[in-house]
Amino acid sequence: MKYWAIFKTQLATRLAYPADLIAGSLSILIFLWVFLQLWRTTYSASGSSVIAGLSLADTLWYLMMTETILISKPRLARSISEAVKDGSVAYLLNKPYHFLLYQLSAGWADGFSRLLFTALFGGGLVWLLVGPPPDVRGWPLVFLALLLGWLIDFCVQALIGLLAFVTEEISAFEWIYQKALFILGGMLIPLDFFPPWLRNLSQALPFAYTIYGPARLFVSPDLTRFAVLALGQLFWILLLWGAVTLAFNRGMRWLTINGG
Amino acid sequence: MIKRELTFLVALWKANLLAAMEFRAAFISQAIGMFLNDAAYFVFWIVFFDRFQQVRGWGLSDMFLIYGLVAFGFGAAVYFFGNLNGVADIIMKGQLDYYLALPRPVLLHLLSSRSVPSGVGDMLYGLISFFFADQLTLDAFARFVLGALFSATIFIAFMVLVQSLVFWMGSVQLLSMQVFNALLTFSIYPTSLFDNSAKFILFTILPAALIGALPSDFVRSFTWQKLGLMLIAAVIFLSLAIAAFYRGLRRYESGSAIQTQV
Repeated sequence: MKYWAIFKTQLATRLAYPADLIAGSLSILIFLWVFLQLWRTTYSASGSSVIAGLSLADTLWYLMMTETILISKPRLARSISEAVKDGSVAYLLNKPYHFLLYQLSAGWADGFSRLLFTALFGGGLVWLLVGPPPDVRGWPLVFLALLLGWLIDFCVQALIGLLAFVTEEISAFEWIYQKALFILGGMLIPLDFFPPWLRNLSQALPFAYTIYGPARLFVSPDLTRFAVLALGQLFWILLLWGAVTLAFNRGMRWLTINGG
Repeated sequence: MIKRELTFLVALWKANLLAAMEFRAAFISQAIGMFLNDAAYFVFWIVFFDRFQQVRGWGLSDMFLIYGLVAFGFGAAVYFFGNLNGVADIIMKGQLDYYLALPRPVLLHLLSSRSVPSGVGDMLYGLISFFFADQLTLDAFARFVLGALFSATIFIAFMVLVQSLVFWMGSVQLLSMQVFNALLTFSIYPTSLFDNSAKFILFTILPAALIGALPSDFVRSFTWQKLGLMLIAAVIFLSLAIAAFYRGLRRYESGSAIQTQV
């Protein structure tokens, strides 16, 4: 209940500045427009209307979804590492909530506020460019898969943020993680277009469960695909949450507080 | 006059380097991190061209070239003129007072008083990318460095131009963020992908083609026309940026904030 209150408060704060949210979400239009140019030329150059089971419209809707997930997902690594670096973690620790769950609730509120506008703008543009979206009946499953994907992302970001206990500066890890999502997660290109060895490798890693899985389900919704995806997501959430708990407890032992 | 300012600039860069060396581990980790970051992003193009070989005459070696040139130019820009993305923020917070009180060119001092360590990683990646671009001649390398210099100049000038709007608009944070992202995104794509109206935009209102496609075309084959075009573009955007900044500066009002410059 208290985390729900944190979530609601943060969401209200974000929604109080709709102009800022709208302007921030507009970047999806730039990326989708570039993708349209690239993939329209590529499809026309290949002389085929379907590549690896995806038409141009499928690819564009897929990319709309990957962009939406990535642009709107909570950015927690930075806020966790800042709290560790500036010592504010010490003030948050004696409050009646778990530090990481507090970050999760606040971060998800930010994420939801961005998700709404990003999906609206991105979806609107792709609809105009290549036609209507995939079957609307699959959307609730996609939403569930997206939430599970965000949980995986939360665990990885928490691990990166907690690295500040050891390294202080975490930018390099953030960049590498972001690029792992771009490539191995299938944000820039559907994994279906990969050579088989790289596709198999990507599908065995958690990044694809954050981005590729929900986006591919959006384009080709079916229950079996969802079940396989959700099972994989739950596996990674359990594994990574274990690692986060371990890292957090160890970090707490290293924490030294000076002054008051 | 120019010699005096150059001496000042070199002294600033030296001071920035010395300051960065105080946090050597952070400096090195950011440089290496950015190098890996660039390399990881490029995997996209390796996968793409592995599948599609060529798109409208563009192949992997062309991508190595354009990506390397933009990375090298961008890296040099943010390393040597690290405040290029923070101009609007500094003006908005009234922190320009510090620069105004000193007897040096305000814009030059403002831009170069900070170094972004990750720029070194970009530059290093840019150089290595160039070596994979099938252009391994001394001539081509000289053109690469010259092209990157123009690319960096236009990039810095355009960012200053956009952020100078803060003097009139009050806040341009989101606009400058979008412009920054758009410039970087579009500059690493070949112009052959875009139709004529888009090309017009990319050579004028959002000069990403002048930052990536034109200089990399210049590296591939020298013509006086391309060199002239880059020179004219650099002079125009630099003049516009300087004019806009100093025109806006007349409207600047100090916040009388107490500041220290470390």
